[in-house]
Amino acid sequence: MGQATLVEASAAAPPMVRVRGFVKRYRRQVAVEGVDLTVRRGEIYGLIGPDGAGKSSLMKAVAGVLSFEGGGLEVFGHRVDSEASAEGIKARIGFMPQGLGLNLYAELSVEENIDFFAQLRELSAGVLAERKQKLLAMTRLAQFRDRPMKHLSGGMKQKLGLICTLIHGPDLVILDEPTTGVDPVSRRDFWAILAELLRSQGVTALVSTAYMDEAARFHRLSLMYQGRVLAAGEPEAILEQAPGSVVSVEVEPQIAALRRLGTSFSQVEGIGPRVRVFVPDAPPEAAAERVGATLAGFRLKDLKAGEAELEDAFIALLEKRRLTRISPPASDASYVEGKWGRFDPGAPGGASDGASHGGTGDPVVSIEARGLVRDFGAFRAVDRVSFQVRAGEIFGLLGANGAGKTTVIKMLTGILPPTEGEGAVAGADMRRAGQAIKARIGYMSQAFSLYQDLTVLENIRLYARIYAVPHRHLRARIDWVVEMAGLAGVTGRLTGRLPMGIRQRLALGCALVHQPRVLFLDEPTSGVDPVGRRRFWEILIQLSRAERVSILVTTHYMSEAEHCDHLALMYAGRIIADASPEAMKADLQATAGQLLEVASDRPLVALERLQRGGYAGVALFGRRVHLLARDVGAAIPAIRRELTAAGLREISVTPRAPTLEDVFVYRIMAMERQAREGIQ
Amino acid sequence: MSGGLRLWLSRLGAMTLKELKQLSRDPILLVVIVYFFTADIYIAGAGVHMDLNNAPIAVMDHDRSAASRELIYRFRPPYFRLVREPQSIREAVRLLDEGKVLAVLDIPAHFQRDLLAGRQTVVQMQVDASNAMLGTLVSTYAGRIVARYGFERAKMHLGMGKAQLQAIPVVENRHRVYYNPNQSDPWFMAISEMLTVITMLSLMLPAAAAVREKERGTIEQLAVSPLSPAQILLPKVLAMGLAVLVGAAASLFLVIQAVFHVPIKGSSMLFFIMTALYVFATSGLGLFIATLSRNLGQVVMLVILIMMPLLLLSGAWTPPEAMPAFLRQAMHVSPLFYFTEMSYAILLKGAGLGVLWRLMLELALLGSLVFAFGVWRFRRQFG
Repeated sequence: MGQATLVEASAAAPPMVRVRGFVKRYRRQVAVEGVDLTVRRGEIYGLIGPDGAGKSSLMKAVAGVLSFEGGGLEVFGHRVDSEASAEGIKARIGFMPQGLGLNLYAELSVEENIDFFAQLRELSAGVLAERKQKLLAMTRLAQFRDRPMKHLSGGMKQKLGLICTLIHGPDLVILDEPTTGVDPVSRRDFWAILAELLRSQGVTALVSTAYMDEAARFHRLSLMYQGRVLAAGEPEAILEQAPGSVVSVEVEPQIAALRRLGTSFSQVEGIGPRVRVFVPDAPPEAAAERVGATLAGFRLKDLKAGEAELEDAFIALLEKRRLTRISPPASDASYVEGKWGRFDPGAPGGASDGASHGGTGDPVVSIEARGLVRDFGAFRAVDRVSFQVRAGEIFGLLGANGAGKTTVIKMLTGILPPTEGEGAVAGADMRRAGQAIKARIGYMSQAFSLYQDLTVLENIRLYARIYAVPHRHLRARIDWVVEMAGLAGVTGRLTGRLPMGIRQRLALGCALVHQPRVLFLDEPTSGVDPVGRRRFWEILIQLSRAERVSILVTTHYMSEAEHCDHLALMYAGRIIADASPEAMKADLQATAGQLLEVASDRPLVALERLQRGGYAGVALFGRRVHLLARDVGAAIPAIRRELTAAGLREISVTPRAPTLEDVFVYRIMAMERQAREGIQ
Repeated sequence: MSGGLRLWLSRLGAMTLKELKQLSRDPILLVVIVYFFTADIYIAGAGVHMDLNNAPIAVMDHDRSAASRELIYRFRPPYFRLVREPQSIREAVRLLDEGKVLAVLDIPAHFQRDLLAGRQTVVQMQVDASNAMLGTLVSTYAGRIVARYGFERAKMHLGMGKAQLQAIPVVENRHRVYYNPNQSDPWFMAISEMLTVITMLSLMLPAAAAVREKERGTIEQLAVSPLSPAQILLPKVLAMGLAVLVGAAASLFLVIQAVFHVPIKGSSMLFFIMTALYVFATSGLGLFIATLSRNLGQVVMLVILIMMPLLLLSGAWTPPEAMPAFLRQAMHVSPLFYFTEMSYAILLKGAGLGVLWRLMLELALLGSLVFAFGVWRFRRQFG
């Protein structure tokens, strides 16, 4: 019933898209198998799923640019089953393919790109000028009209892509992973602009994403996995299909607790000092009780229970359909001593002695940066960056594209000499002993830089020889990597033919083959499905907790940043916050106020009202609005009053714990505001 | 410090093995290598001739006499082939325009009568010289045929038999042809093509291997490893150089020697050592190309761009003596010039190190310079 009022007075109209039993094959490979969905006028319909779920194939078919093998497809009520019928609908569709700015022309300026797409669609000059003006203003790209597309940031490219997709005034836009590879601030900005455009132009959207936490942006969605729909409907309805609660607790000793919980629950994660457990089919109170009982005898602190998120439901649904197993059999009693056998077989190599080898529990610094500066010509990419990473710590470096994260990593790994400042990695001085550092660290880049035409074993062996693993330990090290990364059975396969998740673990194994005490991970999980990502983090937690390996990781996934023990947030080359995730959230609440979630029967109206009401950080999350309020006691009744006066019903306002994404966005926005005021 | 050296070599070995494995798993690259070193060289040797071969001609015989028929009869295969007898001058010109014939022989009326009467007579030859080389060949061959016929008619007219021939003061030109006694074109063409193929592949293969690491992002992984730029680059040159040498051996022994019967006069060992030196020099250029390119497409474009002047300045297609002076000087910066000179010297003339040491030294010097430049560019980009 909420849907009818949201998508105002158009529920009776024929659906924009109707898909029945859709099948798409690439030769023998089935990409999509029997998918049904209906997109109604005015809604944002989401396709969520990891790489290879079949999202792109389905979207291309709806856009009329891909033939398919089975099932029926209707767009705007017209059957689309041939090239000719597809031509009939294309004029009313805007399609933005996957990849940052892939449909745009790098050498053309922002305005030239828009003009080109308008000419393709034979738009009259008057209409073009008016629409261009409006769209550039809404996306705040007006001041960059003359900038070549290749010099735009990731988020700006996607906004330009959106303009080019909307310039001919389509009734339906199809956006294939528009937010992949875009930082959280730009992502949020993109969603806000999309919601605004849809509201003002009455456009319907079919949007895909690999980020589970974006589900709340959709009115309705289909959760896809390996060519099938796992669940479909409103976000709340999907959560109800795999009911359960999430319990989070700080526990000592963590590794033993994870093992204990693994015997009773299938979804167990270590996050910072805490463990997070999904308890199926239980309300929060009962779930907390069960977890507490399971962990009897451990030191527990700050036990919290709450609603599950979509990712939990996704994995629970996969398990229900027996499509995956998350945890390895947890009967292994040697978890703490070393789940995969000893990390150091034989004598410790050159990599593991020296200052990095911590004694019993005393915090040894493995990575230290002191006032690092790097200039590229007149441009200062990194500005006086200092931080410390201790042995056994997972340290997260967060920041938008171009914030300087990768430059910091390049300096610390000895690829790039710093302009100023100093640092030490694994006991070696960064300025003088670059080669020693290279031999002592492990490094894994976002591309999982493996040789695709070598087999798994050949890749491991190559890196073992590059890192000079002594011959007598070679067998033991290779066995360790295979065991740790779960590669038994695929060692003879060509790397290029393996799924992303396995390639990622192989890349990690190659980075660890020489037992480094320090590990650098540059966006290690892009493109990997949630199951693979959880397994990957399980390995990292094990490495840091049991083997005391220091890990420096950069990531775009805010849900991943939650796993880190310590975070540094970078903006324009500087570190603007440096604390644990918990402390960052507490700090946000202290400075900006409590996060409130507002639900109502007409969220778009609520959004507009609250934005005009002058609240901080007002943003739409699907059917709910988030905002920050300093005085909760006064704000809640004030919001209720205002929305009731606007004729809204079913209003609820509840305080919520902020996520790291809230922290990130708030901090960056504050910096951007400062920068603007500085200029003026 | 033998431990350090052993480690250095072990890393080099691991990387070279990796390159060879990758090459062996790239079917397209393998097809390219095999094709260029066998079929391509065979086609070049068998298909390109500097002789006139079955040139189509038309004849307008206005005399239709025994004498004219005898002259026409002399334009025959393998040099000429009579294809038409046009009825009018206009038709003859049209045949030339359409490229159906390369030349038109026009024999006037009273041809035989004039000859018998001891008067001078003229035949006309219209030649299509749009292909300059072919045009020259046609007019030269035709000129010789007509001159010989005229000489014999003149002798007959004077009533001279075979015996009196000695009495005429004629200068006879006797050739003594060295190195290629039958002046067989396949010898020259096949060797020349092999040198071209070696050049192209030793530019392209290391560049492709290096740029592929860039495209896939693996270069970053190598840059943070304890490998030095030389340890990253040298294996590509070693592996691809090995592939080129194996290919060169196949084309030398299986095509050039076995099919075209070129006697390899000099030491083939010396030829391969020299080839290895040359491959090293050109792969430096290849690595330079790799630093300029972002993908394989750009590599191919740049290889063509560099290949053309290398070839034109090498003397493989045009002899150095035929070039203007400033280009003749420029040839000394083309490694292919040295390679061409030395290859012909070793393979056909049987030259040894005693003759070639100077050229070899110059090539080594040039090669080291070019290679060092390539590594320097690469180090600046990824070091």
